[in-house]
Amino acid sequence: MNKIKFADYNEGQDIPELRVGPIKQMDLVRYAGASGDFNPIHNDVEFAKSAGLPGTIAHGMYIMALMGRQVTNWAPPTQVKFFGVKFKGMSLPGETMVFTGKIKKKKEENGDKLLMVSLTAANDKGEVKVSGDLTVKAE
Amino acid sequence: MAELSKDIVGRKMEPFTFTVERGKVKEFLNAIGETNAIYHDVNAAKAAGYADTPIPLTFQTAFTFWGYGDKFWSDLDSFGIDTKRLLHMKEEYTYLEPIYPGTTVSCQVEVIDVKVGKMNMVTFKNTYSDGKGKIFIEAEMAIVIRPEGM
Repeated sequence: MNKIKFADYNEGQDIPELRVGPIKQMDLVRYAGASGDFNPIHNDVEFAKSAGLPGTIAHGMYIMALMGRQVTNWAPPTQVKFFGVKFKGMSLPGETMVFTGKIKKKKEENGDKLLMVSLTAANDKGEVKVSGDLTVKAE
Repeated sequence: MAELSKDIVGRKMEPFTFTVERGKVKEFLNAIGETNAIYHDVNAAKAAGYADTPIPLTFQTAFTFWGYGDKFWSDLDSFGIDTKRLLHMKEEYTYLEPIYPGTTVSCQVEVIDVKVGKMNMVTFKNTYSDGKGKIFIEAEMAIVIRPEGM
């Protein structure tokens, strides 16, 4: 995995995208076990409906984890200084997720060369589910 | 159930620890479809300049759910949060030091903000440290509680 170099990137440049899906109920079961988040809205259709949802919904953190895959397919994890997301919509089983990202700003701060990246997870119809911000300390 | 109010700002969950085990990390990697060798293979990680296989960017979510367990949900309940109507709104990580397998991480969850209104919102700060002053990750999590009928 190559280190991210400040000089190699320009503002407005895209980072490589990642497509995952369609999300299956089994993916959510596996994620529940791995993360320990057994909130039944993610794995029990009847419970989810009784909570007023259309059916089970993906863990927001599952989508963030996939976004994290996109990030470290591109940048080594030790260069990632900040990763934050806002959940905009529910991701449902059956949806295919597309993760994209763009260099929003390059800046030097206290001697650090930083790439500020905006991230988006949308379904394949373009409906945004998660937006993210990433700070990579470049070389 | 208690009613949600600003009074819970400053409330802390009990401190807990979580030891990062290789098998647990692998289970997480497999669940998210992560195949990057640096996460799976110590030799590949070392060849890439890491001390050991790093944890993936969001693995610390398991610290709370596995380290604190069902008490997480019962604490939310005691804070006046209707967990059935809870939706995750924001999650942010500031990475200060890498975490490798074998590390026992000390964790502390604290309520830092509450907004009561049409939509009730609660923000938590989670600090993951070595218990001796070295912080690995600082996290902020915000949840929203859907009103009835939404």
